Amino acid sequence: MKRSDILRIVVAALMAVYMPLSLVAFTLKAPIAAQPALLTSIGQSADVEMAKAIMSRAKLSFSMDSLVKAQALASTNAKTLVVVIGGSSKGLGAAGISADAELERAKALLAEAKKRGMKIIGLHIGGEARRGELSDRFIGAAVPLCDYFIVVEEGNADGLFTKLCGTKIPLDIVQKISQVSEPLAAAFAK
Amino acid sequence: MKKLMLALALFVAALGAVSAQLPVNLYGRAAVGANGVVAAAKPEASQVGIDILKKGGNAVDAAVATGFALGVLEPNASGVGGGGFMIIKMKDMAEPVVIDFREMAPGKATPTMYLGADGKVIPNSTVEGGLAVGVPGEVKGLLYALEHYGSGKLSRADIIQPAIQWALQGIPVTVNLASIIKDNFGKLVKYENGAQIYLKDGLPYEVGEVIYNPDLAKTLAKIVKEGEDAIYKGEIAQAIVDEVQKRGGILTLEDLANYQVKIRKPVEGDYRGYKVYSVPPASSGGTHLIEILNILENFDVKKLGFQTPQAAHLWSEILKLTFADRSKYMGDTDFVKVPLAGLTSKAYAKEQAARIDMNASMTPPKAGDPFKYESGSTTHFSVMDKDGNMVAVTKTINYFFGSGVVIPGWGFIMNDEMDDFVATPGSVNSVEPGKRPLSSMSPTLVLDSKGRSFMTIGSPGATRIFPTVAQVISNVVDFGFPIQEAILAPRVYQAASGDLHLEGRYPVSALDGIKKLGHGVSIHADWDAYFGGVHAIVYDYDAGLLYGGADPRRDGQAKAF
Repeated sequence: MKRSDILRIVVAALMAVYMPLSLVAFTLKAPIAAQPALLTSIGQSADVEMAKAIMSRAKLSFSMDSLVKAQALASTNAKTLVVVIGGSSKGLGAAGISADAELERAKALLAEAKKRGMKIIGLHIGGEARRGELSDRFIGAAVPLCDYFIVVEEGNADGLFTKLCGTKIPLDIVQKISQVSEPLAAAFAK
Repeated sequence: MKKLMLALALFVAALGAVSAQLPVNLYGRAAVGANGVVAAAKPEASQVGIDILKKGGNAVDAAVATGFALGVLEPNASGVGGGGFMIIKMKDMAEPVVIDFREMAPGKATPTMYLGADGKVIPNSTVEGGLAVGVPGEVKGLLYALEHYGSGKLSRADIIQPAIQWALQGIPVTVNLASIIKDNFGKLVKYENGAQIYLKDGLPYEVGEVIYNPDLAKTLAKIVKEGEDAIYKGEIAQAIVDEVQKRGGILTLEDLANYQVKIRKPVEGDYRGYKVYSVPPASSGGTHLIEILNILENFDVKKLGFQTPQAAHLWSEILKLTFADRSKYMGDTDFVKVPLAGLTSKAYAKEQAARIDMNASMTPPKAGDPFKYESGSTTHFSVMDKDGNMVAVTKTINYFFGSGVVIPGWGFIMNDEMDDFVATPGSVNSVEPGKRPLSSMSPTLVLDSKGRSFMTIGSPGATRIFPTVAQVISNVVDFGFPIQEAILAPRVYQAASGDLHLEGRYPVSALDGIKKLGHGVSIHADWDAYFGGVHAIVYDYDAGLLYGGADPRRDGQAKAF
């Protein structure tokens, strides 16, 4: 093999890994969710604030309640639940809720949303910092109940989200937080 | 073809540069040199200090330059809007001097200022927004040091210009900084002045990107020209007052004009033949560091073994006793009487040591620990030169990104140091006008048995600071570790009550033994910034070399020449 051929292979491999997201097709072929959405946290990390910025930028109609409970879904007009998963001890402390209570809130909320026929979109955008014992409890409980999931690549280094989503839950993996906007917006009908 | 090769090489090099910044990258943290070492939480800041030494500046010149540079390179942890402590020992000084540039409570502050109508502390009021802001001391402190202890060979411009340069050319977003920005996104997004600098289009910067802060460069240039008056009088002072008050604060022009650096006598002790000097109140750190070492000296630490169940137990018991004292006695000595001599005496340590049962965990002391929520978001750096001139500086804006309040047009973040007071009346550390909130910062200098400069050390990490500094000193003195190994070793932490906190790499083989001694255990990440970020230098006189150690729990890297 010539040296130039080796170089071409290396460049192609690097481009495959670092190719701009705009050149990547997303998993969903058509929108699955309706607006307005209800945005909440599972784990009380600051990531929910990032999701809020992303959804605002995408001009999606939504409201946010980081601690919304299952019972509250009866009085909301939200048609889609967007959950941002990531545990934060600081966030849980500030919210005055224990990890166990947060997990119970999340389970009840997701079950109620399913019961009401709401679509559930899951986001994990905090990367490696939102993995580990605390976060993984929330991830394990919430991801299997989502109808669509977007993860920032760094958080899926061990393939956990790929495994949890399997073939049943459409999963998009993006490289940067700023790239979440495009597939998330595409998941909603205009 | 050549162009393609070059592009590929640059691409791979760029990826390599990003990878090298991973927090767990253990390589290249330490440095060794015959002439001088600077160990700081950012390699670029360490290099600034080294460049000053190479230009003929002394250790204080280098420390001040490094301090200003860190305010730019690690803006989340310290800067113009903050404060701290510096301890200096030049070779011709009989004993070190402490420069206390800790923030003060504003003149209108009261012990009940954080209480709502229901008598309860208003959530978040001590940590975010204008009411959380204390009168900053950093610029007065650093310039005082430069004026009184600098070489006089270098101008203020020589010292501050590197920081200006970094503000203009931009600071690299490392894995560590990217993670901190994400973690504090909720605060940053609330304050548009900070969001404009530290967020990119409203979202966190990604690793490898660059943050520019020309407004901060402008502020630093004004300090070059006008000295401390640039911050404490005139248009910047007015901008500080306007912005802090706009965000609900009570800071006034009089508060800024009246701020004073305090020159203090260090607290001192001996540990197995080494002389230890550290900072007195308004930091509790130095006093308790000496208390810990004094108690530890009553035990044959080496015989207990390194990171055995018995060793962990001993640290736990010593720290419980120390934190019980801290809760009861510690405050600003300008306002309350603190039994400093007793707390640092060998006789008291012996009594405390006698209370420790090496076979069972002590019942937690009754006193609570009102300071346990102190922030760990601080920075420490050390400088030593071939003549043994030593400087240790710990400085902070308290929580990462401080109060969130950023002064528009001037690019610096105001501290939230008021959170280090007890937010309710009745404590020795309750708020009073002009009082300094209790700190744990412990910049420390150690002399060897011949009275020669031996070590300069310190750490961020809130109440973990002095336990961490004590452990690293013990690692060097008791176990003979090189300074970098002493810094890398996993750490423990114990408050007055609650679980014993262990860093993730603490030997698994010790866990059962620790639990059998009656300790609850909380295991943290393998490399956890919770336990601080030590930057230290040790002088090896036999080799004629200075060894700098830096902490991978932060972006630490020492530089030497």
